Amino acid sequence: MNDSMVKVYITGTGAVKIARHYPLGVRDLAFQAGKQALAESGSDNVDFVIVASSLSYLQAPQLDLASYIASSLGLHGVRALSVEAGESSGLAALETAVSLIKSQEASRVLLIGVDKMTEHPSGPTYVMLQALYDTESDAYYNIGHAGIAALLMRLYMEKYEVDRLTLAYWPAMMHMHAKNNPHAMLPFAVAPEKVMTAMPIAEPITLLDAYPLGDGAAAIVLENGDELEGRPLAEIESVISATGMPSPALREDPLDLESLRTALGRLGGLEKIDVIELHDSFSIYGLLELETLGLAEKGESAKLVAEGYFSAEGEGPLVNPSGGLKARGHPIGATDVYKLVEVSRILAGTWQGVKRGDEETGMIVSINAAGSSSRIALLRKVKG
Amino acid sequence: MTRSLPVWWRRRIPRYRLIGARCKECGKIHYPPRTSCPYCGSNSLEEVQLPRRGILESYSVIYSVPGDNRLNAPIIVGLVNINGVRIVAELTDVLPGELSTGLEVEAVVRKISETSDTGIITYGVKFRPVLGAGSGAGQDTGEA
Amino acid sequence: MTQERPESRTGIHGWGAYVPRWRLPMEEIARVWGWPPHQYKGLNVKEKSVDSPDEDSTTMAIEAGYNALLRAKVDPSEIKAVFFGSESKPYAVKPSATIVAEALGITPVTMASDLEFACRAGSEGLRASIGLVSSGMMKYAMAIGSDTAQAEPGDVLEFTASSGAVAFIVGPREGAAAVFEATYTYVTDTPDFWRRALKPYPRHGEGFTGEPAYFHHIMSSVKNLLEETGYKPSDFKYAVFHQPNGKFPVRVGKRLGFTMEQIEPGLVTPFIGNTYNASALLGLARVLDRADPGDLILVAPFGSGAGSDTYILRVTEAVKEKQGLAPRFDDYLARRKTIDYALYTRYRKILTMLPRG
Repeated sequence: MNDSMVKVYITGTGAVKIARHYPLGVRDLAFQAGKQALAESGSDNVDFVIVASSLSYLQAPQLDLASYIASSLGLHGVRALSVEAGESSGLAALETAVSLIKSQEASRVLLIGVDKMTEHPSGPTYVMLQALYDTESDAYYNIGHAGIAALLMRLYMEKYEVDRLTLAYWPAMMHMHAKNNPHAMLPFAVAPEKVMTAMPIAEPITLLDAYPLGDGAAAIVLENGDELEGRPLAEIESVISATGMPSPALREDPLDLESLRTALGRLGGLEKIDVIELHDSFSIYGLLELETLGLAEKGESAKLVAEGYFSAEGEGPLVNPSGGLKARGHPIGATDVYKLVEVSRILAGTWQGVKRGDEETGMIVSINAAGSSSRIALLRKVKG
Repeated sequence: MTRSLPVWWRRRIPRYRLIGARCKECGKIHYPPRTSCPYCGSNSLEEVQLPRRGILESYSVIYSVPGDNRLNAPIIVGLVNINGVRIVAELTDVLPGELSTGLEVEAVVRKISETSDTGIITYGVKFRPVLGAGSGAGQDTGEA
Repeated sequence: MTQERPESRTGIHGWGAYVPRWRLPMEEIARVWGWPPHQYKGLNVKEKSVDSPDEDSTTMAIEAGYNALLRAKVDPSEIKAVFFGSESKPYAVKPSATIVAEALGITPVTMASDLEFACRAGSEGLRASIGLVSSGMMKYAMAIGSDTAQAEPGDVLEFTASSGAVAFIVGPREGAAAVFEATYTYVTDTPDFWRRALKPYPRHGEGFTGEPAYFHHIMSSVKNLLEETGYKPSDFKYAVFHQPNGKFPVRVGKRLGFTMEQIEPGLVTPFIGNTYNASALLGLARVLDRADPGDLILVAPFGSGAGSDTYILRVTEAVKEKQGLAPRFDDYLARRKTIDYALYTRYRKILTMLPRG
């Protein structure tokens, strides 16, 4: 943990609607989100550009991506750094940015998450997405993007005797929430029965359990609280990470997200959290995260979701008001930055989507693959 | 994507023979062998021949087929438990309706990828339901 | 026998069969290609085995070889030669024998090569193995016959061309399940069946494959060896011949003076079709699966182009305990699942642009 007294604030946010942006490339998307965030922060003056991206390195290969994006934003001479940590790239970039600010190496950082998933047809893209998993073990085989999650989902259903319909309430809740998210890719309602009977993509996972393939970019401006230029929307209280087993097959219980458990332990316990953005590339991961975080007993999370416990009207913390990876969308390296945009807007009171209105603390969780690494960020409302 | 020849080649023997690694420090076995023990971090490892039979703990029938694999669609992936060592691998010679958890499976060597008619063919272990031999046939000695 | 034959110093220590799971019934082929039922009824073949899309002659050889190792109970590194006989190699250039040897733990100190002699290459490997072991150059050698046999869609060959593999570990007489008493080979330049370089499917001389090729070579080989050894057909418990269909081996056997009782146990083509390099040798594997000590076996593989070997084997006491150490031919026969012609075209890569093999 960093015991620097420097506070880090988000002062600008930007997000492009997630879609199949065939006319737009990585730099175009990054430009749009980056400019929005800079505009909200009130200044183009940054001393670091950090770019979180993952799949784009395979989709439209460009190395030293952050420098090229900085240049396309007109930020000549700025310091720039690319961060890649698979599906957890965004929070990995946040970890980096926060350290730079806390160590006073930087005072204003533009953090952009961007990814393209539609530069190729789905078949080759699934092969690329396999590389999020361990290519020396599980992803040696043709597991596709959903194979491992499917293995875990079946294990979960059999171990805890949870039926398929109960598990379908997660995507249903995500779609309900996404309806009001202006940058969601799939802003429409879906009934649980429809999830269950949708096209199977990796049994027992159906098309409606899985994240869509969409392109996107989101950006935030981070500032040192002592040298604020913009209006603070939210404070970054902490961001922490942990690595885990390269394959769930190596875990004593394959359903144990031990990297997230380790990260949580490193955080030193949880105070009351009002709003949480979880990583639900597939429904099963969202449910396992709820249980790992202690928000549900093992095997009970799906039932709580079905009962509405985590919805805007529920008693539990509000979970995935964005619609989650499932319905907002999941442009791999950009996703965490979308979550940062969404949660800071909720805390700042500028969010147009699902909310309760009194949120003061927010949490963002991301994992890569089935938990090769996990990250948690805690955000706090800025008082006054 | 084209598979790298050296990347596949350097790991071919454990892939062909189902050779795992036993950690000399903590005693745990994993497959396929890694540079160091995933449990305790020691790089003091020894090869160990895994038995060829295991139990299917979970499986998935994959219809969103990655890459040029239409020929093998749907791809069936399993989580196989061999005396406590878990392996994710493709299943073969089995139809979706014949799958169930608890099924006894055995390792065989099959083609893993063949992405063009000019490139290399990669082979490795897959699992299939054990033959209904009934006479103790196919029992693994762990020696061969 | 008057003089010691070098082959009698050797025997079979392990044998292993492999047949893929899928079966294509004859009537499916006739339905698709407009053949009258008479076309296949005379072949005495019910259905043929078809390999899975992730199989080729190399993977099938690995499983047959593994089964042979289970029965031989020898350290794989003691095997010093691997011969892979096939006419459906997945690579035109690059040995399958090294893949098989590596997968089975036989590498690196071993001979390894792929042999080609139409359906007889596996048998040539067996003869070479006998020579290498009997000369004392090595203690054990492995001979494999494996094919995913090619046949042009619509050609009569398609009725029978099938997939299967068989492997034998040849070693010293001591401890062998069956000892080679005598062997013989007879070859001539007779072009009854061929496949030109870079062509996917073989061609054949139709009726020419019969009398001048199959019958002449097998009859010459068997008769000559019987003459040399002084054995009569009635001395044998089992007689196994190359089986391009279910009809030829019965006819050649009867002409040579053998009975259905001797021929039938080693007749596998009626159930799985013609596995080319595995054909007669799979029949031998099936016979060994059930043989008793003291049984005398005659085996006569044939390959187009053309040639035939004859082997006379005496079964020993060791056969019984080996029989149960690996799956038997009949265990593979029992896991059959029929498919239709459409699935067959996909499994055999006839429908796709992928390589045939």
